[in-house]
Amino acid sequence: MKILKISFALLLCAMVSSCSNEDDNTENLAGQTGTLIIKFDNGVGDQDFIFGTSYTKSNNESFQLSTLKYLISNIALTDDEGNTFMYPSEKNVFIINEANANNAGEIYVTLDEVDAANYTNISFGLGIDQDRYALGAEGQGNFLTTAEAEGMMWSWATGYRFTRLDGTYSSNTVTNEALNIHMGSVGTSVDNYNEISLSLPNTVVVREDKSPQIHVVADIAKLFDGETSVSFDDGYAQVHVDATTTGVIANNAKGMFSVHHVHNE
Amino acid sequence: MNDSQNIKLIHLITILFLLLVSLSQASTIDPPTSYFSQYEFDFDCDLCGCSTGSGSFGFGTLNNANFVGVRYINQQFESKNGVFTNSPVSKETFNTYQLWAQVPINTSFYVSVNVPYQDLNRSLNDTNENLNGIGDASIIAWYKLPFYKKVSNEEFEATEKENSGHSLQFGLGVKLPTGKFEEALVDRVNPGFQVGTGSLDAIFSLGYNYAADKFGVNTLLSYYLKGENKNEYKFGNQFSYATKFFTAFAVKKAMIMPFLGVSGDVFNKIEQYGETINDTNGAILNSSLGTEFVVNRCIFGVNYTLPVSQNLFGGNVKSKNRLSLYFNFAL
Repeated sequence: MKILKISFALLLCAMVSSCSNEDDNTENLAGQTGTLIIKFDNGVGDQDFIFGTSYTKSNNESFQLSTLKYLISNIALTDDEGNTFMYPSEKNVFIINEANANNAGEIYVTLDEVDAANYTNISFGLGIDQDRYALGAEGQGNFLTTAEAEGMMWSWATGYRFTRLDGTYSSNTVTNEALNIHMGSVGTSVDNYNEISLSLPNTVVVREDKSPQIHVVADIAKLFDGETSVSFDDGYAQVHVDATTTGVIANNAKGMFSVHHVHNE
Repeated sequence: MNDSQNIKLIHLITILFLLLVSLSQASTIDPPTSYFSQYEFDFDCDLCGCSTGSGSFGFGTLNNANFVGVRYINQQFESKNGVFTNSPVSKETFNTYQLWAQVPINTSFYVSVNVPYQDLNRSLNDTNENLNGIGDASIIAWYKLPFYKKVSNEEFEATEKENSGHSLQFGLGVKLPTGKFEEALVDRVNPGFQVGTGSLDAIFSLGYNYAADKFGVNTLLSYYLKGENKNEYKFGNQFSYATKFFTAFAVKKAMIMPFLGVSGDVFNKIEQYGETINDTNGAILNSSLGTEFVVNRCIFGVNYTLPVSQNLFGGNVKSKNRLSLYFNFAL
């Protein structure tokens, strides 16, 4: 009968332990920081984005790209108590370059020394805001050099390119025509900087010993078929410093990001 | 698997084997009066390899209540490795080597024990990953309630009650966190890619058996109440069902017992930090086909399982087929 007694004892343990999962909410997080990874994953609709692959869009047009980059800045996280953690400004600007993606097609942005908290919302800007631009060339730190090297600047006077899509498109009338979507603010005269706020599907738990990941999907198709559907044939194959076309693309870009899931480790 | 692990495993299996044999010999065993008079299914909780591995695996020895044996299970999965419809698919092969036994306590109670060793492989493009180690052991105590044929008043009261062939079994057990749970692996698309859940789980089972001369049925319903592990990660509670129809015929000195069946699992969502995670619930229905060969006290079994319908982890994980081979020695 010993085995029987042991097994019933074990069963009792299991039942007791499964009922006692009350969390310790008195955890003191002051001064504790952790690492948070944001994975940017570019897609076109429900397809993973791949260079050189032709994707169809509205107006019977298709496109394929050889360059896909955009600027992300001002990443901020809001916790379950409503407090917002803003990543330090001087480090809070990133170039998301599809060419730097890993095997899985993901581009990692690693944030160090993030305040330990339970985060429920993330926000970030697409591009460079006027405050950062107003710091002048000196105030950009190393990022100015990086952006220039990556072809994400027009000139200092005109400013940063927020998106850089280079490739070709085909339509009813043309085949493999050049496609260049270089959207940005234009100096201080056109402001195309927009912030995107996304609530997280699960709480992201940042601790000294936990480095969670937020998986952000960027749907490139939304740039052309977002709030406004644009036609390459109709002036949107070459988007540069024009206030109208960059404005439309910038507005469409607000809807291209979503958080697919989070990983807590 | 390196050599030292191999040796450790062999030692463990040997010790457990000897322990079980000595335990079984210490208790009284009613010899089976016929092949069908007393059979059980095994308790079969293959939770590891891990959450998609299931307790619906079916059964073991058809015709003997008590045994010690070994079983090998091969399971194949395909998991979408990314968030897009054209994301690459990884293939997972889960090999499980189990030492299992069913040991009588007395005429009404018995215990089933299962100690798995997991060898899990995953390949994506040209990258291969391997994870191996002792999995989660489980132990269940069973109470068996046989049903007897009605005895008419005219018969002598001294006559022994005749077994009707129907019986119910009630099982209560635990799955122990003997396998290692690696938190880093929860990032994988298939959360079952673990040798252990790291949790202590309760198991509630109800079995029904019927056996006639040439025909039998085994049905097993199980519910797994899963505990939270130290990483505040909790696999979803699971309901498993399995039923098998079998027949038997003799060929020379051997008995051949083919069977057909259906089995399935229903999983709740995984929880972490007290929140449920999307796309972690699911259900699967399997058909199974197999046979046992019985020669004297040796039972060799083979069981092939193919999914009929499934929706696991938001459709991102697909169970392919499973093959199980076992060799049991009737006690």
